[in-house]
Amino acid sequence: MDQWQLLHTEIRNRVGYLFLDNDQRFNTLHSECIQELRAALTVLESESAVGCIVITGDPGESFAVGANIAEMRDFTSVEAWDFSQLGQGLFEQIESSTKPVIAALNGITMGGGCDLALACDLRLASERLQIAHPGVKLGIITGFCGTQKLPRLVGSHRAKEIFMTSRAYSAEEALRIKLVEQVFPADQFMNRVSEYAEQIAQQPPMALNLAKKMLNAAENVCIANGQVMELGAFASLFPRSGHMEKIEEFFTKHAN
Amino acid sequence: MNTLTIEIKDSLAIISLSRPDCLNSVNMEMLKELQSQFEQLRSDEAIKGVLLTGVDGHFASGGDLDEVRHFTPLEAIAFAETGQKLCSLIEAFPRPVLAAVRGYVLGAGLEIALACDYILADETAQFGFKELCYGVLPAFGGTQRLPRLVGKGRAKEMIFTGRLVGADEALRIGLVNQLFPAVSLLDDVFKQLQKICSYGLLSLQMGKEVIDTGAEINLQAACKMERDAFAVCFSTADQKEGMGAFIEKRKPRFSGR
Repeated sequence: MDQWQLLHTEIRNRVGYLFLDNDQRFNTLHSECIQELRAALTVLESESAVGCIVITGDPGESFAVGANIAEMRDFTSVEAWDFSQLGQGLFEQIESSTKPVIAALNGITMGGGCDLALACDLRLASERLQIAHPGVKLGIITGFCGTQKLPRLVGSHRAKEIFMTSRAYSAEEALRIKLVEQVFPADQFMNRVSEYAEQIAQQPPMALNLAKKMLNAAENVCIANGQVMELGAFASLFPRSGHMEKIEEFFTKHAN
Repeated sequence: MNTLTIEIKDSLAIISLSRPDCLNSVNMEMLKELQSQFEQLRSDEAIKGVLLTGVDGHFASGGDLDEVRHFTPLEAIAFAETGQKLCSLIEAFPRPVLAAVRGYVLGAGLEIALACDYILADETAQFGFKELCYGVLPAFGGTQRLPRLVGKGRAKEMIFTGRLVGADEALRIGLVNQLFPAVSLLDDVFKQLQKICSYGLLSLQMGKEVIDTGAEINLQAACKMERDAFAVCFSTADQKEGMGAFIEKRKPRFSGR
């Protein structure tokens, strides 16, 4: 299934891997790369043999960095708007995916790469992680949802520090401020990621899907409505309610 | 000014809360002086950022009890409204505002610090809300900003018990962003502010605004707002300069235009 130029995919033990690999020192998230990511994700999402998806830049030096600066420098506002829209579309796809998507942060993760990590459900980091959001050094803010997702994950004061100082954070710091959920030793990184992802991929798909939907919705709805949605999601996981039996009884009776 | 000192250094304003005879407690006069300072600094384009601190080893104790205890309900509303307006003014200040705190950071003082972009402290800092011990509650936005920062459970614990939280715990729960040695706190924070303010001021301002505004609306709408602000960056001189300098491997010179 490797029809891709800037990445390759693999399925192993119910985990679908998406390896960013654009043949340069850093994986840049330029337009073509984002389009390929969207297409490859669509394929992995539709595979019933995949219970969980991992995005990584392993074994390269970077997970991902933002767009190509030389290309971006000459953007008009309209081109910037389109580019932002394209990236946000990818992140919406990750969020609305029925499968959990894990970012395995093998190394340098900057700008748009940080935003890609934030769009995923979980972030696992190698000890080699260097993560930063250096937009203010370039005279921009990010357009890939980072200004919204980062404060929701680490709090507004820490998000402002990350954006304002532009500095790189180590794996240890990222773990302390809850920017990543786990840190694994660099020499066992992908093995540990696989173990972790395989465990999630073993869970019943419907329950995983609904848990992800509920947790994402929790950001946007009041607690009363959230609880109503939770009831519905919970009930939908039970195959035979009394109501279903009544319906079946009705059809059985009328079939005869 | 009776309750503040202000110093301008390298285009940055250092404001110190200064009522040393009462541990820099916050009274109406201090609120009004702070408000007028922030309003003046806001319209002064030469000022790139603000460092807020306190004199004599403390940031600020809570509201001035000698004044507050005699309030009628109407006076209490006026006091709280003035404090809330000040905190909103600080939060919406168009350039970075960092709090450098030590010693007591209590009640109204903590609420003012919470309105800054983030809080940096030394190991002597102690944080707390003692309002409930006096039969009142925090009213400068503290009941709203604290839970958003440290989570609802921790905010309730701090406000219900009135217990003081030390510097290490404050760092762990995210009330404080970084700790510095007591001897160098002000220098260290000043350097950090200098560095931040050497970056693109327009993107700092827009970043602040989309973070704060976005926190009040749902994620999808917030991301659209961010997209539009991102696009606007590409019509600024700062963006061309910042990216140009990156490519040419030189230091950018941002104009804020």
